Amino acid sequence: MATRSGKARLIYCGLSLGGLTAGFPFAWMLLASFMSRGESLRRALLPERVQWDNYIEAWQEADFGLYFENSLIIAILQVSGTLLFSVMAAYPLARMQFRGRDVVFTGVLATLMIPEAVTIVPNFLVVTWLHRNTPFAWLNSWPALTIPFMASAFSIFLLRQFMRGLPNELWDAARIEGAGHVRFLFQIAVPLCRAPLLTVGMFTFIGSWNALAWPLLVTNTPDWRPIAVGLQQFASEAGTEIHLQMAGAVIATAPVLLAYFFIQREFTEGISISGLKG
Amino acid sequence: MKPKSAMTLVWCALLWACGGEQEAVYEQQTSLESLDPQGQKIVFWYQHTGQREDALQELIADFNQTNRYGIEVRGEYMGRYGDIYNKMNVGIQSGSLAASLVVAYQNQARAYYQADGIVDITPYVNSPQWGLSPEERSDYVQAFLEQDNIGGVQIGFPPNRSMELLYYNVDWLRELGYDGPPATWDDFAAMCRLAQEHPFSKNENPARSLGFLLDVDASRFAAMVFSRGGDLVDSTGSAYALDSPEVKAVLELLQELARDGAIDIAAERDVEVNEFVTGQILFSQDSSSGLPFYKSGIEDSGLAFEWGVTHPPQTGSRPVVDVYGASVSLCAGTPEKQLAAWLFLKWFTAPEQQARWVRASNYFPVRKSTARELESYFEENPHYGAAFGMLDYGKSEPTMAGYERVRRLIREAMIEAIEGGDVEQLVEELQRAANRTLEP
Repeated sequence: MATRSGKARLIYCGLSLGGLTAGFPFAWMLLASFMSRGESLRRALLPERVQWDNYIEAWQEADFGLYFENSLIIAILQVSGTLLFSVMAAYPLARMQFRGRDVVFTGVLATLMIPEAVTIVPNFLVVTWLHRNTPFAWLNSWPALTIPFMASAFSIFLLRQFMRGLPNELWDAARIEGAGHVRFLFQIAVPLCRAPLLTVGMFTFIGSWNALAWPLLVTNTPDWRPIAVGLQQFASEAGTEIHLQMAGAVIATAPVLLAYFFIQREFTEGISISGLKG
Repeated sequence: MKPKSAMTLVWCALLWACGGEQEAVYEQQTSLESLDPQGQKIVFWYQHTGQREDALQELIADFNQTNRYGIEVRGEYMGRYGDIYNKMNVGIQSGSLAASLVVAYQNQARAYYQADGIVDITPYVNSPQWGLSPEERSDYVQAFLEQDNIGGVQIGFPPNRSMELLYYNVDWLRELGYDGPPATWDDFAAMCRLAQEHPFSKNENPARSLGFLLDVDASRFAAMVFSRGGDLVDSTGSAYALDSPEVKAVLELLQELARDGAIDIAAERDVEVNEFVTGQILFSQDSSSGLPFYKSGIEDSGLAFEWGVTHPPQTGSRPVVDVYGASVSLCAGTPEKQLAAWLFLKWFTAPEQQARWVRASNYFPVRKSTARELESYFEENPHYGAAFGMLDYGKSEPTMAGYERVRRLIREAMIEAIEGGDVEQLVEELQRAANRTLEP
């Protein structure tokens, strides 16, 4: 018994250490965002007087209002698109029998091995071609920022793994009621996929919210630039305004943390279920 | 092969593979003199943020209102140098380059020129109608113009320059028994060791007391090599010379001081500024463009100590400082757009605009006559004035197209040296790897 309790203590110690290590940067970001510039330069641990003005200054200096709105629209579009296309791609790979299904799935998985940096140029060439040859603007607008990322191999994989575990009896019952694949997918499978869908949504949201290199490539003006661009405003060749940058970072991180706070149970469940069933 | 090199290869292969047929880039067939830049709309891609961006936008607005050709310039922030470089590369490859003017370091501009993304500025400079008069031409600091001149081709035009400076804490030096900055690298080493043993009296964290915090960067390294009378390239300028005695001496000194605990590596961006302004390090080597940041940092830290700037310690009879800075290149476009872009560039580098730009950015001007308009600025900013006086000692870093990769190799060698690697072997490998980047 004593050994078990000692073991548990050791595990808790390890977990606490891990928690502190993971949490410290966030805590420091929050504290530094309330410091004066002098305190942030001195690497003080706590602000002597809370500087709320940092948030106002950061918001105004980096035009966060516009960037925030842009990021929100881009994230909503990207999450919606990714969920729709991933569900529609994952379902046949999980539940339908057709020739070459495994080859297609292997092909989808293979794209996971390609680093993102390598796909930037081909993606840009495609988007440029579409910008020139389709009636609506792709560059400097939301299509270039969202559509290329709506087909995600990881999301397809995650949902396919979950859908494979759905009992066949559900499909049989649906068939008896006269349902086809589309109706079964949207009325039965999707509601049961709440956890992996939220996981996919969360990953997509984070990816979209943090994007920087691609948005800078396909936009020329702030009109459609996301919040990560705003954060760059506090770092110049001369130096970095740490206290303002941290205030900006808190503003930029808040929606992600908030979203995670609401769906953390499903998020964890989504990953663990898919992993186990895989 | 290292992962980064593999990535670069893949990137290059994709650029080549996906490039396809280049869209026709307008050749400058029409005579430059007969062109009409009336009503041209051009885009200028830059990396400036904050106060500098505001000042640049004001200048652009003034140009748009006052130029007699109705040229309209739109200034666009495009991220940092690396972001702009990526954007230019994909823009050139896809034939959809939206900019007419772009900020670029010499090695980047060289790469753009080789890919037909930018044009030679020489015809514009020499044009009887649109160019510079002989007096105007001689007013530019020739060394700055030459930095952008590769084999007779002017791949960029400098709007400003910066230099590597040694920032030092005057009060701390006095406490250590010195009345001035180090004249030689031996003095520098001795001061660093003393600083480690005797923290600055105003340092609130005396457990952290160092002579120097090394920002692992190729420009820091180049400045140290230059100051010893060395160079990063051979006398022909066409091959690297990174196994020279000067390069070895730099790495050996850094290794020795690191081993003694007198210096350390800057583990994060701008930390050397923070530790200097809080009295934890005696010296910082940094760009002159950081002068206002150091000044305000010392004021904000509340330590109020006396500080100064000088050139890095020297070995020869004459100091040598690393002078660098991104220039502005003319992107390939219609002849009219190119001309309009040049006219803006010419206006931007005129003494009056230069003086305004200097005051806002703290960069060095590229026109000698600007100094006359800056007398009051020198008085208000004595450190800037001191640094300005050192421009005559300027020397440039290599301009080879692959210099960005060599900068990475230099950084790796610096880290390995500080971590105790065999310097002799390191420089041999560095030399080999650097010259490999020149192979076609």
